[in-house]
Amino acid sequence: MSRDGGLHPGAWWVWALGLAAAASRTTNPLLLLLLASVIVFAVVVHPSARRTVLGFFARIAAVVLALRLALAVVFTSPFPGHTVVRLPSVPVPSVFAGLRIGGPVTAESLLAALDGGMQLAVLLLAAGAASALADPRSLLRCLPAALYEVGVAVSIAVALAPQFATAARRVREARRLRGEAGRGPVVWLRAALPVLHGALERSIDLAAAMDARGFGRRGPVRPWRRHVVTAALVVALLACAAATYGLLSPGFRSSVSLPLLAAGVGLAAAGMIVGRRDAVRSRYRPPRWTPRAWLVAAGGAAAVVSVVLAGHLTPGSLTPTGYPLTWPQVPTVAVAGALGAALSALSAGTPDTVPRTLRAGTP
Amino acid sequence: MTSLLPRPAPPRSQAVQRTADSADAGRTAIRLRWRSTAAVTLASLVGVLAFGWPFLSGVRGGGEAVAHASDAPWVFLLILPLVLVVVLAELADGLLDAKTVAMLGVLAGCGAALRTFGGDVTGASPVFFLLMPAGRALGRGFGFTLGVLTLFGSALITGGVGPWLPFQMIAAGWVGFGAGCLPRLRRFAGRWPEIAMLSAYGALAGLVYGAVMDLWFWPFQTTGLAPGIAYDPAADAATNLSHFAAFYLATSLGFDVPRAVANAVLVAVAGGPVLAAIRRAARRAAFGSGPARGIPRTPTGDPTGSAADGEERVRPWTCR
Amino acid sequence: MTRPDVAARRAADPGHPPVVEFRQVTMTYPDADAPVLRDVSFELGEGELILVVGPTGAGKSTLLSAINGLVPHFTGGRLDGQVIVAGRDTRTHPPRELADVVGYVGQDPAAGFVTEVVEDELAYAMEWLGLPPTVMRRRVEDVLDLLDLARLRGRRLDELSGGEQQRVAIGSVLTAGVRVLVLDEPTSALDPPAAEEVLAVLTRLVHDLGLTVVIAEHRLERVIQYADRILRLPGDGSAVLDEPSAAMAVSPLAPPVVHLARLAGWHPVPLSIREARRYAARLRATLPPNPSRPTAPSRSLGGEPLVAVRDLVARYGTTTALRHVNLRVERGEVVALMGRNGSGKTTLLTHLAGLRPPARGEVIVDGVRPHRLRPVEAVRHVTLVPAEPSDLFVADSVAGELRGLPRGRELLRSLAPEIADTAHPRDLSAGGQLLLALAIMLSYDAPLLLLDEPTRGLDYAAKERLAAILRARAEAGRAVVLATHDVELAAEVATRTVVLADGEVVADGPTAEVVTATPAFAPQVARILHPLRWLTVGEVREALEAG
Repeated sequence: MSRDGGLHPGAWWVWALGLAAAASRTTNPLLLLLLASVIVFAVVVHPSARRTVLGFFARIAAVVLALRLALAVVFTSPFPGHTVVRLPSVPVPSVFAGLRIGGPVTAESLLAALDGGMQLAVLLLAAGAASALADPRSLLRCLPAALYEVGVAVSIAVALAPQFATAARRVREARRLRGEAGRGPVVWLRAALPVLHGALERSIDLAAAMDARGFGRRGPVRPWRRHVVTAALVVALLACAAATYGLLSPGFRSSVSLPLLAAGVGLAAAGMIVGRRDAVRSRYRPPRWTPRAWLVAAGGAAAVVSVVLAGHLTPGSLTPTGYPLTWPQVPTVAVAGALGAALSALSAGTPDTVPRTLRAGTP
Repeated sequence: MTSLLPRPAPPRSQAVQRTADSADAGRTAIRLRWRSTAAVTLASLVGVLAFGWPFLSGVRGGGEAVAHASDAPWVFLLILPLVLVVVLAELADGLLDAKTVAMLGVLAGCGAALRTFGGDVTGASPVFFLLMPAGRALGRGFGFTLGVLTLFGSALITGGVGPWLPFQMIAAGWVGFGAGCLPRLRRFAGRWPEIAMLSAYGALAGLVYGAVMDLWFWPFQTTGLAPGIAYDPAADAATNLSHFAAFYLATSLGFDVPRAVANAVLVAVAGGPVLAAIRRAARRAAFGSGPARGIPRTPTGDPTGSAADGEERVRPWTCR
Repeated sequence: MTRPDVAARRAADPGHPPVVEFRQVTMTYPDADAPVLRDVSFELGEGELILVVGPTGAGKSTLLSAINGLVPHFTGGRLDGQVIVAGRDTRTHPPRELADVVGYVGQDPAAGFVTEVVEDELAYAMEWLGLPPTVMRRRVEDVLDLLDLARLRGRRLDELSGGEQQRVAIGSVLTAGVRVLVLDEPTSALDPPAAEEVLAVLTRLVHDLGLTVVIAEHRLERVIQYADRILRLPGDGSAVLDEPSAAMAVSPLAPPVVHLARLAGWHPVPLSIREARRYAARLRATLPPNPSRPTAPSRSLGGEPLVAVRDLVARYGTTTALRHVNLRVERGEVVALMGRNGSGKTTLLTHLAGLRPPARGEVIVDGVRPHRLRPVEAVRHVTLVPAEPSDLFVADSVAGELRGLPRGRELLRSLAPEIADTAHPRDLSAGGQLLLALAIMLSYDAPLLLLDEPTRGLDYAAKERLAAILRARAEAGRAVVLATHDVELAAEVATRTVVLADGEVVADGPTAEVVTATPAFAPQVARILHPLRWLTVGEVREALEAG
């Protein structure tokens, strides 16, 4: 398992976030297609990326798209356009005002549905690519000190879940040894209970082992620091809540809400960093943020910045209306940004992955 | 498997066990102090906004608000994880106990394993079957944290960390929190009134969870679709509600109702033993224990002298 | 280092502080009536391997857990007296503050793993000590070399074998720089080669690094020759620290070599095979080469064998677990199935019980093919006690487990009268759980009884009870097939032994022949009286009494 040579997993997540943010600003289908292909390219180019995860997300995206098209076909749009097929109309109860079921299905409405769906699909593919390129489990090693205990709980859960599955199978076999039939939900349920008992007993043993190895050692605790940090976190949450409310409701101005949000985020980050200084833990070989990681992250940033820039330079190109039916233009700035993201992904080298089973014959 | 630790002597009789069960109904594993409660409340507020913003931002006249409305899903996608991180960090402050962390991890692992057996990406009913008794037996704070961590853990296991995850996490956290808020029926601990209450809560929680996740999905899925079912930033809350109702009936209700019924049946059948198992484990783990001063006792004439730090008497002490 | 040297050195240096000190320790658990440990006092020095001996329930685990403070900080209860480890009093230091002086490894090392990978597990304790990264890296490398784990450094923990997991568990506390290592039954789940590896590691730690190692073990025959001193818990709450020969002279729990020594009147009591053989020359001269053993029930009972396995091939996915296995078992036989962990013993038993259909070949038990029957009918022909008896338990009381089994209640009362009807099955000791599972399976009264590794965690008394039950079954005309790597139990109770290796049968014959074929893993009596083929102390006793 490569620990030092691998990329910090956060770099890939920033990259994917950048591409998802770029996709969120546009419904231009060609641009979205370009972004999607950049994502798939990045995964394909890295042989140790877990392609099955990307495939899983691609399947979900396909299902979502199909559902969308189905909804567009069933609930037709009242706007005129080129009719593709005419379905029988179904009367709708008056409580659903403005709803039409059946009637003419227009090509424009189908394309509009497709454009919106592609946005969501690119978002899903980006999430899939991030999971494929940097196993989310490796993020557990990068958690801030404030979340250490939570990270331990999650890593215990991740490590034990497969063992519970095998324990369930073993218990089902044991039920057969007592003369009970092997199939059916009731038997499955009766199998789950001994597994739960075993799991709970095991949690006590695990806690004893953790305690015996030093879990929870603290340095000298200064109570005032704790109070200050807690106050900071609560105030930060308050600021975030207020800012989001302000962003959404009509009365507030964004020039107030956005800085408030930024302040809340900053305060929360500061509170978490400062708050756990009293923990005496050190970290064994944590992933490091190398220049290569900066490069990858910069690729993602380039994508979103270029799309925003294209929105300013050529205002209409990001959200083509689709009426009339023409090929949309793709702004070159955005294309440049997407290519930059692809290049930075190519430069990344071997990604960091959690260890998998050694193949037979490996020394 | 045989335990690491010595087994304490078993309780004397079943009657003693039952009263011990009901006495434990009030113990919590993660104490919610005022600041944790504040953190959870504020985070839940943001969560409510994160789900319910379509009904909020109706405005006459479009313009700036409309632009913001189309951004809202993406904004919340960034804010909600941060909020969850902050609230988990605040709860983690009370989590320093190894026993709580181990029990959280183990129960989250069980829930995640259950989910790979019986759930799909959007559904989480098998998780509730474990989450609700745990929230009931171990308190609100534990239930909230367990909900959040189970969903996170199962996403890590299946490799599916998708954009829905923070929303699922907070919704599951609410389910666990709510289970801990159910009234304490001390006289009926372990008997059918408690199970019936949990079962009803399970059905309700399943329905609400499904509706809420569908609500999250709605603006994403319906941008560009026909009016009448799509989210309309320029319309007011009532119109959007009717649009959402149409969407919900079309897509999700058919799945949610059978799942809610299945939830209720599952809890009714197996909730009792699960609750008893968790309570027994909590009692054995003796949450909230710490050394208390015991009765001083004179040593039995030790010729080698007193203790190294010069104490006159050897004081025993008790952990409860 | 011989034992008199240790005692002499200690006597000559009274200022040398003990590493572990118990002063009038009395421990009472929260719900218990009587204390588990009563007024226990002793001192342990550096560089010693201490063996803790006692029957189940005598307080061995309590004593071990008290060394690092888990008792009473973690378990609750009341501790009178003091436990001082490396100068630190456990009253004021909870377990986490003793993590750099005491390392605790429990019975199931896998249950104590916190991370997923070997290397992370080794570093875990050091992270909590706040050591700088360079120190951590160096120590991890040192421990990997010391315990021969270097080639496993990146492996996942749940893929390791039992012995490897045990070594990783030991390594994970060694990196913290502990001076005292406490292990609760480290070899009970391991097969003999893995157990030898772990014990070799522990003796190396004692001799080369000067650690104090405290071990609780039931299978004394494996460990006793390495012990510097023995801490004996008779069961009344007291603890007596003594030289091994002196302790074994009076202890009711003793390995076969000690029982043989007592029988033959050897003084001082030898503890290793080498010492015993020096005494045994005269005994070897007086005994005939083979004891008279009852003829194994064979085809003389007529008709078909009870179990006929022909050309069985079993597969798990792409790996072949059993290759062309042939086996016959007659009524009245007790067959011991031996072999390394992973050689296919459990697979063979699951096929005999009908839990899986064979990939090729056939399995016929009592005239039927068990995998084709419904479970409720299959239990009338064959029953299996699994390796984890607690898998069978679903009720929350012993009475609930036995509900619906007509003879179960009486059987349990005859097997284990001390188990209360209201006890929770999971609160029972390992032996208690095994006996409960056995009572459940015996109540079906099937002609074939299968047992998978029943001796994990059993002390000698429980093993004797188990052996008596199995012998009674054989005499009643039933058959027993027992998968075990406890060669002493096989020698006691089995008429035939079948050895599996890598999925194939490599030996199948009378126990005396098969088990003495490899001198390294033969029973102790056989090794002492080699080349005579005597297996158990009981046989020698009968021969000597007969004259």
